[in-house]
Amino acid sequence: MSNDHHHPPAPMVEEVSDFEVLEMAVRELAIEKGLFSADDHRRWTEYVHTLGPLPAARLVAKAWLDPEYKKLAVRDGVKASLDVGVDWINSPPTGFGTPSDYCNLRVLEDTPTVKHVVVCTLCSCYPRPILGQSPEWYRTPNYRRRLVRWPRQVLAEFGLQLDPDIEIRVADSNQKTRYIVLPVRPEGTDGWSEDQLAEIVTRDCLIGVAMPRPGITANAQRPVRPAVRPVHHDH
Amino acid sequence: MSQSTREQVMRHLETVTYLQPALHKPQQAPYPDEIDHALYRAYTRSAHDVGGEADVPIRWEEKQEEQWELNTFATCECLAWRGVWNAEERRRRQNVDLGQTQYLGLPYYGRWLLTAARILVDKQHVTLTELVNKIDEVKGRYEQG
Repeated sequence: MSNDHHHPPAPMVEEVSDFEVLEMAVRELAIEKGLFSADDHRRWTEYVHTLGPLPAARLVAKAWLDPEYKKLAVRDGVKASLDVGVDWINSPPTGFGTPSDYCNLRVLEDTPTVKHVVVCTLCSCYPRPILGQSPEWYRTPNYRRRLVRWPRQVLAEFGLQLDPDIEIRVADSNQKTRYIVLPVRPEGTDGWSEDQLAEIVTRDCLIGVAMPRPGITANAQRPVRPAVRPVHHDH
Repeated sequence: MSQSTREQVMRHLETVTYLQPALHKPQQAPYPDEIDHALYRAYTRSAHDVGGEADVPIRWEEKQEEQWELNTFATCECLAWRGVWNAEERRRRQNVDLGQTQYLGLPYYGRWLLTAARILVDKQHVTLTELVNKIDEVKGRYEQG
Protein backbone atom coordinates (compact mmCIF):
# COMPACT_ATOMS: atom_id res chain seq x y z
CA MET A 1 0.00 0.00 0.00
CA SER A 2 2.89 2.33 0.65
CA ASN A 3 3.74 3.00 -2.97
CA ASP A 4 0.32 4.37 -3.68
CA HIS A 5 0.77 7.01 -1.02
CA HIS A 6 3.80 8.60 -2.61
CA HIS A 7 3.03 10.71 -5.57
CA PRO A 8 5.36 11.93 -8.24
CA PRO A 9 5.78 15.68 -8.58
CA ALA A 10 2.83 17.37 -10.19
CA PRO A 11 2.84 17.84 -13.96
CA MET A 12 4.34 21.11 -15.16
CA VAL A 13 1.09 22.35 -16.60
CA GLU A 14 -0.20 23.04 -13.11
CA GLU A 15 1.44 25.68 -11.00
CA VAL A 16 2.79 24.28 -7.78
CA SER A 17 1.70 26.05 -4.60
CA ASP A 18 4.10 27.64 -2.13
CA PHE A 19 2.85 25.20 0.49
CA GLU A 20 3.73 22.21 -1.67
CA VAL A 21 7.22 23.53 -2.27
CA LEU A 22 7.81 24.33 1.39
CA GLU A 23 6.39 20.99 2.52
CA MET A 24 8.79 19.08 0.31
CA ALA A 25 11.72 21.28 1.34
CA VAL A 26 11.07 20.87 5.07
CA ARG A 27 10.52 17.12 4.83
CA GLU A 28 13.65 16.56 2.74
CA LEU A 29 15.81 18.74 4.98
CA ALA A 30 14.57 17.00 8.12
CA ILE A 31 15.39 13.62 6.60
CA GLU A 32 18.80 14.76 5.25
CA LYS A 33 19.70 16.08 8.70
CA GLY A 34 18.67 12.81 10.31
CA LEU A 35 15.92 14.34 12.45
CA PHE A 36 13.65 11.52 11.35
CA SER A 37 13.89 8.94 8.59
CA ALA A 38 11.96 8.60 5.36
CA ASP A 39 10.72 5.33 6.81
CA ASP A 40 9.36 7.12 9.90
CA HIS A 41 7.42 9.45 7.63
CA ARG A 42 6.07 6.60 5.53
CA ARG A 43 5.07 4.59 8.60
CA TRP A 44 3.28 7.54 10.12
CA THR A 45 1.41 8.26 6.90
CA GLU A 46 0.34 4.63 6.65
CA TYR A 47 -0.83 4.74 10.26
CA VAL A 48 -2.97 7.81 9.50
CA HIS A 49 -4.60 5.90 6.65
CA THR A 50 -5.75 3.26 9.14
CA LEU A 51 -7.54 5.81 11.34
CA GLY A 52 -11.25 6.55 11.28
CA PRO A 53 -14.36 6.73 13.46
CA LEU A 54 -15.00 2.98 13.47
CA PRO A 55 -13.36 2.12 16.83
CA ALA A 56 -15.29 4.90 18.58
CA ALA A 57 -18.54 3.76 16.93
CA ARG A 58 -17.87 0.25 18.11
CA LEU A 59 -17.18 1.50 21.65
CA VAL A 60 -20.61 3.15 21.67
CA ALA A 61 -22.34 0.06 20.28
CA LYS A 62 -20.70 -2.15 22.89
CA ALA A 63 -21.71 0.28 25.64
CA TRP A 64 -25.32 0.20 24.44
CA LEU A 65 -25.34 -3.60 24.61
CA ASP A 66 -23.37 -4.14 27.81
CA PRO A 67 -24.14 -2.05 30.92
CA GLU A 68 -20.90 -3.13 32.60
CA TYR A 69 -18.87 -2.04 29.60
CA LYS A 70 -20.74 1.26 29.54
CA LYS A 71 -19.72 1.87 33.16
CA LEU A 72 -16.12 1.12 32.26
CA ALA A 73 -16.25 3.43 29.22
CA VAL A 74 -17.55 6.34 31.27
CA ARG A 75 -15.15 5.68 34.14
CA ASP A 76 -12.00 4.86 32.13
CA GLY A 77 -12.21 5.62 28.42
CA VAL A 78 -8.59 4.67 27.86
CA LYS A 79 -9.11 1.18 29.26
CA ALA A 80 -12.41 0.74 27.41
CA SER A 81 -10.62 1.70 24.16
CA LEU A 82 -8.49 -1.46 24.39
CA ASP A 83 -11.62 -3.53 23.69
CA VAL A 84 -12.06 -1.76 20.36
CA GLY A 85 -8.41 -2.10 19.41
CA VAL A 86 -7.10 1.33 20.42
CA ASP A 87 -4.15 1.43 22.79
CA TRP A 88 -3.63 5.06 23.82
CA ILE A 89 -0.52 4.36 25.84
CA ASN A 90 1.56 2.04 23.66
CA SER A 91 0.07 2.49 20.21
CA PRO A 92 2.08 2.15 17.04
CA PRO A 93 3.93 3.40 15.19
CA THR A 94 5.81 5.14 18.02
CA GLY A 95 5.19 2.49 20.66
CA PHE A 96 4.51 5.25 23.17
CA GLY A 97 1.17 6.55 21.95
CA THR A 98 0.65 9.71 20.00
CA PRO A 99 3.67 12.02 19.79
CA SER A 100 1.33 14.94 20.44
CA ASP A 101 1.42 13.70 24.02
CA TYR A 102 -2.19 13.04 24.92
CA CYS A 103 -3.68 9.83 26.16
CA ASN A 104 -6.67 10.80 28.25
CA LEU A 105 -9.98 9.90 26.62
CA ARG A 106 -13.25 10.82 28.29
CA VAL A 107 -16.54 9.32 27.14
CA LEU A 108 -19.44 11.74 27.68
CA GLU A 109 -22.72 9.93 28.28
CA ASP A 110 -25.84 11.64 26.95
CA THR A 111 -29.19 11.15 28.67
CA PRO A 112 -32.68 11.98 27.39
CA THR A 113 -32.30 15.40 29.02
CA VAL A 114 -28.58 16.12 28.57
CA LYS A 115 -26.80 16.39 25.21
CA HIS A 116 -23.00 16.67 24.95
CA VAL A 117 -21.06 18.23 22.11
CA VAL A 118 -17.30 18.57 21.69
CA VAL A 119 -15.13 21.49 20.59
CA CYS A 120 -11.56 22.68 21.02
CA THR A 121 -11.67 26.43 21.45
CA LEU A 122 -7.88 26.84 21.59
CA CYS A 123 -6.92 24.80 18.54
CA SER A 124 -8.37 21.58 17.15
CA CYS A 125 -7.73 18.87 19.76
CA TYR A 126 -9.50 15.71 18.69
CA PRO A 127 -9.27 12.05 19.73
CA ARG A 128 -7.51 11.02 16.52
CA PRO A 129 -6.53 7.46 17.52
CA ILE A 130 -10.15 6.45 18.04
CA LEU A 131 -11.98 8.90 15.74
CA GLY A 132 -9.58 9.65 12.87
CA GLN A 133 -8.77 13.07 11.43
CA SER A 134 -11.00 15.95 12.45
CA PRO A 135 -13.32 17.47 9.85
CA GLU A 136 -12.34 20.87 8.52
CA TRP A 137 -15.36 22.63 10.05
CA TYR A 138 -14.30 21.40 13.50
CA ARG A 139 -11.02 23.28 13.01
CA THR A 140 -12.58 26.56 11.91
CA PRO A 141 -12.36 29.57 14.24
CA ASN A 142 -16.07 30.03 13.57
CA TYR A 143 -17.14 26.69 15.12
CA ARG A 144 -14.72 27.25 18.00
CA ARG A 145 -15.94 30.79 18.62
CA ARG A 146 -19.65 30.15 18.54
CA LEU A 147 -20.26 26.64 19.89
CA VAL A 148 -19.33 27.57 23.46
CA ARG A 149 -21.61 30.59 23.43
CA TRP A 150 -24.52 29.67 21.16
CA PRO A 151 -24.51 25.85 21.21
CA ARG A 152 -28.25 25.47 20.55
CA GLN A 153 -28.05 27.66 17.46
CA VAL A 154 -24.93 25.96 16.13
CA LEU A 155 -26.41 22.50 16.64
CA ALA A 156 -29.52 23.64 14.77
CA GLU A 157 -27.28 24.66 11.86
CA PHE A 158 -26.01 21.07 11.83
CA GLY A 159 -29.61 19.89 11.62
CA LEU A 160 -30.01 19.02 15.29
CA GLN A 161 -33.04 20.84 16.67
CA LEU A 162 -33.11 20.16 20.38
CA ASP A 163 -36.09 20.60 22.64
CA PRO A 164 -35.59 23.69 24.83
CA ASP A 165 -35.69 21.61 28.02
CA ILE A 166 -32.75 19.48 26.89
CA GLU A 167 -29.59 20.78 28.54
CA ILE A 168 -26.55 21.14 26.28
CA ARG A 169 -23.09 20.56 27.72
CA VAL A 170 -20.13 21.66 25.62
CA ALA A 171 -16.86 19.87 26.33
CA ASP A 172 -13.78 21.95 25.51
CA SER A 173 -10.92 19.62 24.60
CA ASN A 174 -7.36 20.37 25.56
CA GLN A 175 -3.93 19.01 24.93
CA LYS A 176 -4.18 16.16 27.39
CA THR A 177 -7.89 15.35 27.39
CA ARG A 178 -9.99 14.37 24.37
CA TYR A 179 -13.67 13.51 24.25
CA ILE A 180 -16.20 11.40 22.40
CA VAL A 181 -19.95 11.47 22.94
CA LEU A 182 -21.88 8.37 23.93
CA PRO A 183 -25.34 9.20 22.55
CA VAL A 184 -28.63 7.79 23.76
CA ARG A 185 -29.48 4.56 21.97
CA PRO A 186 -32.27 5.45 19.57
CA GLU A 187 -35.64 3.75 19.48
CA GLY A 188 -36.20 1.18 16.79
CA THR A 189 -32.93 -0.64 17.40
CA ASP A 190 -34.14 -3.44 19.65
CA GLY A 191 -32.41 -6.73 18.99
CA TRP A 192 -29.74 -5.16 16.82
CA SER A 193 -26.25 -6.63 16.74
CA GLU A 194 -23.12 -4.70 17.67
CA ASP A 195 -22.26 -4.33 13.98
CA GLN A 196 -25.70 -2.95 13.15
CA LEU A 197 -25.56 -0.49 16.03
CA ALA A 198 -22.02 0.65 15.20
CA GLU A 199 -23.14 1.49 11.67
CA ILE A 200 -25.48 4.26 12.80
CA VAL A 201 -22.91 5.86 15.11
CA THR A 202 -21.38 8.31 12.67
CA ARG A 203 -18.43 10.64 13.20
CA ASP A 204 -20.86 13.52 13.67
CA CYS A 205 -22.73 11.58 16.39
CA LEU A 206 -19.43 11.02 18.19
CA ILE A 207 -18.57 14.74 18.07
CA GLY A 208 -22.10 15.47 19.22
CA VAL A 209 -23.48 17.52 16.31
CA ALA A 210 -25.82 14.69 15.27
CA MET A 211 -27.82 11.95 16.96
CA PRO A 212 -27.94 8.35 15.74
CA ARG A 213 -31.07 7.21 13.92
CA PRO A 214 -31.99 3.85 12.42
CA GLY A 215 -31.27 3.90 8.70
CA ILE A 216 -28.81 6.81 8.88
CA THR A 217 -25.28 5.48 8.48
CA ALA A 218 -23.49 8.53 7.09
CA ASN A 219 -22.85 12.10 8.13
CA ALA A 220 -25.28 14.72 6.86
CA GLN A 221 -24.62 15.74 3.27
CA ARG A 222 -22.56 18.91 3.13
CA PRO A 223 -20.72 20.71 0.38
CA VAL A 224 -17.21 19.32 -0.11
CA ARG A 225 -14.33 21.64 -0.87
CA PRO A 226 -12.23 19.68 -3.35
CA ALA A 227 -8.44 19.50 -3.07
CA VAL A 228 -6.17 20.47 -5.95
CA ARG A 229 -4.04 17.36 -5.43
CA PRO A 230 -5.99 15.21 -3.00
CA VAL A 231 -4.75 12.40 -0.81
CA HIS A 232 -5.68 9.09 -2.38
CA HIS A 233 -6.96 6.49 0.01
CA ASP A 234 -6.52 3.02 -1.42
CA HIS A 235 -8.77 1.21 0.95
CA MET B 1 13.84 49.66 -10.84
CA SER B 2 12.49 47.96 -13.94
CA GLN B 3 8.83 48.27 -14.79
CA SER B 4 8.02 44.67 -13.90
CA THR B 5 9.92 44.87 -10.61
CA ARG B 6 8.04 48.05 -9.75
CA GLU B 7 4.76 46.30 -10.50
CA GLN B 8 5.74 43.36 -8.30
CA VAL B 9 6.69 45.64 -5.42
CA MET B 10 3.46 47.61 -5.73
CA ARG B 11 1.37 44.42 -5.81
CA HIS B 12 3.19 43.19 -2.71
CA LEU B 13 2.65 46.45 -0.80
CA GLU B 14 -1.00 46.53 -1.75
CA THR B 15 -1.47 42.94 -0.54
CA VAL B 16 0.32 43.67 2.72
CA THR B 17 -1.96 46.65 3.28
CA TYR B 18 -4.97 44.33 3.17
CA LEU B 19 -3.49 42.33 6.05
CA GLN B 20 -3.36 45.27 8.47
CA PRO B 21 -5.76 44.58 11.31
CA ALA B 22 -8.68 46.96 11.45
CA LEU B 23 -7.99 48.91 14.60
CA HIS B 24 -10.78 51.43 14.15
CA LYS B 25 -8.32 54.09 15.22
CA PRO B 26 -6.80 56.94 13.30
CA GLN B 27 -3.26 56.20 14.42
CA GLN B 28 -1.23 53.04 14.83
CA ALA B 29 1.36 52.66 17.59
CA PRO B 30 -0.72 54.92 19.85
CA TYR B 31 0.46 56.99 22.79
CA PRO B 32 0.89 54.99 26.01
CA ASP B 33 -1.89 56.79 27.88
CA GLU B 34 -4.34 55.69 25.20
CA ILE B 35 -4.17 52.06 26.33
CA ASP B 36 -6.53 51.39 29.21
CA HIS B 37 -6.75 48.09 31.09
CA ALA B 38 -9.43 46.62 28.84
CA LEU B 39 -7.49 47.43 25.69
CA TYR B 40 -4.24 46.17 27.19
CA ARG B 41 -5.86 42.88 28.08
CA ALA B 42 -7.37 42.53 24.62
CA TYR B 43 -4.05 43.21 22.88
CA THR B 44 -2.09 40.82 25.06
CA ARG B 45 -4.44 37.85 24.76
CA SER B 46 -3.20 35.15 22.40
CA ALA B 47 -4.84 35.06 19.02
CA HIS B 48 -5.92 31.41 19.22
CA ASP B 49 -8.10 31.96 22.30
CA VAL B 50 -11.27 32.49 20.25
CA GLY B 51 -13.93 30.76 22.38
CA GLY B 52 -16.97 33.00 22.79
CA GLU B 53 -15.96 35.62 20.22
CA ALA B 54 -18.88 36.87 18.17
CA ASP B 55 -19.21 35.59 14.63
CA VAL B 56 -21.91 35.01 12.03
CA PRO B 57 -23.18 31.61 10.86
CA ILE B 58 -21.25 30.09 7.96
CA ARG B 59 -21.95 27.16 5.70
CA TRP B 60 -20.52 23.98 7.27
CA GLU B 61 -18.43 22.16 4.72
CA GLU B 62 -16.29 19.07 4.48
CA LYS B 63 -12.89 19.34 2.82
CA GLN B 64 -10.81 16.98 0.79
CA GLU B 65 -7.27 16.75 2.11
CA GLU B 66 -4.34 17.90 -0.03
CA GLN B 67 -1.40 15.53 -0.25
CA TRP B 68 0.89 18.23 1.15
CA GLU B 69 -1.43 18.62 4.14
CA LEU B 70 -1.17 14.95 5.07
CA ASN B 71 2.60 15.12 4.52
CA THR B 72 2.79 18.16 6.79
CA PHE B 73 0.86 16.38 9.52
CA ALA B 74 3.22 13.41 9.26
CA THR B 75 6.30 15.65 9.30
CA CYS B 76 5.12 17.48 12.42
CA GLU B 77 4.32 14.20 14.17
CA CYS B 78 7.68 12.69 13.18
CA LEU B 79 9.47 15.76 14.55
CA ALA B 80 7.67 15.11 17.83
CA TRP B 81 8.21 11.34 17.68
CA ARG B 82 11.96 11.86 17.33
CA GLY B 83 12.17 14.55 19.98
CA VAL B 84 12.78 17.70 17.93
CA TRP B 85 9.92 19.46 19.72
CA ASN B 86 7.58 18.60 22.53
CA ALA B 87 3.83 19.11 22.53
CA GLU B 88 3.89 22.30 24.59
CA GLU B 89 6.37 24.25 22.48
CA ARG B 90 4.82 22.96 19.30
CA ARG B 91 1.38 24.16 20.31
CA ARG B 92 2.70 27.54 21.37
CA ARG B 93 4.56 27.96 18.10
CA GLN B 94 1.65 26.80 15.93
CA ASN B 95 -1.03 28.76 17.71
CA VAL B 96 0.43 31.72 19.55
CA ASP B 97 3.81 32.76 18.20
CA LEU B 98 2.51 33.27 14.66
CA GLY B 99 0.52 36.35 15.61
CA GLN B 100 -3.07 37.07 14.67
CA THR B 101 -2.55 37.94 11.02
CA GLN B 102 -0.94 34.62 10.14
CA TYR B 103 -3.07 32.70 12.62
CA LEU B 104 -6.31 33.75 10.97
CA GLY B 105 -4.94 34.31 7.48
CA LEU B 106 -3.23 31.03 6.64
CA PRO B 107 -4.79 27.61 6.02
CA TYR B 108 -4.82 25.20 8.97
CA TYR B 109 -1.90 23.08 7.81
CA GLY B 110 -0.19 26.13 6.32
CA ARG B 111 0.35 27.28 9.90
CA TRP B 112 1.71 23.87 10.86
CA LEU B 113 4.07 23.87 7.91
CA LEU B 114 5.49 27.34 8.52
CA THR B 115 6.04 26.37 12.14
CA ALA B 116 7.86 23.18 11.16
CA ALA B 117 10.19 25.20 8.91
CA ARG B 118 10.84 27.66 11.74
CA ILE B 119 11.68 25.00 14.32
CA LEU B 120 14.39 23.60 12.02
CA VAL B 121 15.99 27.03 11.74
CA ASP B 122 15.40 28.18 15.32
CA LYS B 123 16.98 25.05 16.77
CA GLN B 124 19.85 25.34 14.26
CA HIS B 125 19.20 22.04 12.55
CA VAL B 126 19.40 23.95 9.26
CA THR B 127 20.52 27.45 8.39
CA LEU B 128 18.24 29.91 6.66
CA THR B 129 20.53 29.66 3.64
CA GLU B 130 20.07 25.90 3.51
CA LEU B 131 16.31 26.33 3.71
CA VAL B 132 16.21 28.97 0.97
CA ASN B 133 18.49 26.87 -1.25
CA LYS B 134 16.33 23.80 -0.73
CA ILE B 135 13.19 25.74 -1.60
CA ASP B 136 14.87 26.93 -4.82
CA GLU B 137 15.99 23.39 -5.59
CA VAL B 138 12.47 22.01 -5.15
CA LYS B 139 11.00 24.79 -7.29
CA GLY B 140 13.59 24.05 -9.94
CA ARG B 141 12.61 20.40 -9.98
CA TYR B 142 8.97 21.35 -10.61
CA GLU B 143 9.93 23.76 -13.36
CA GLN B 144 11.92 21.08 -15.13
CA GLY B 145 8.96 18.74 -14.79
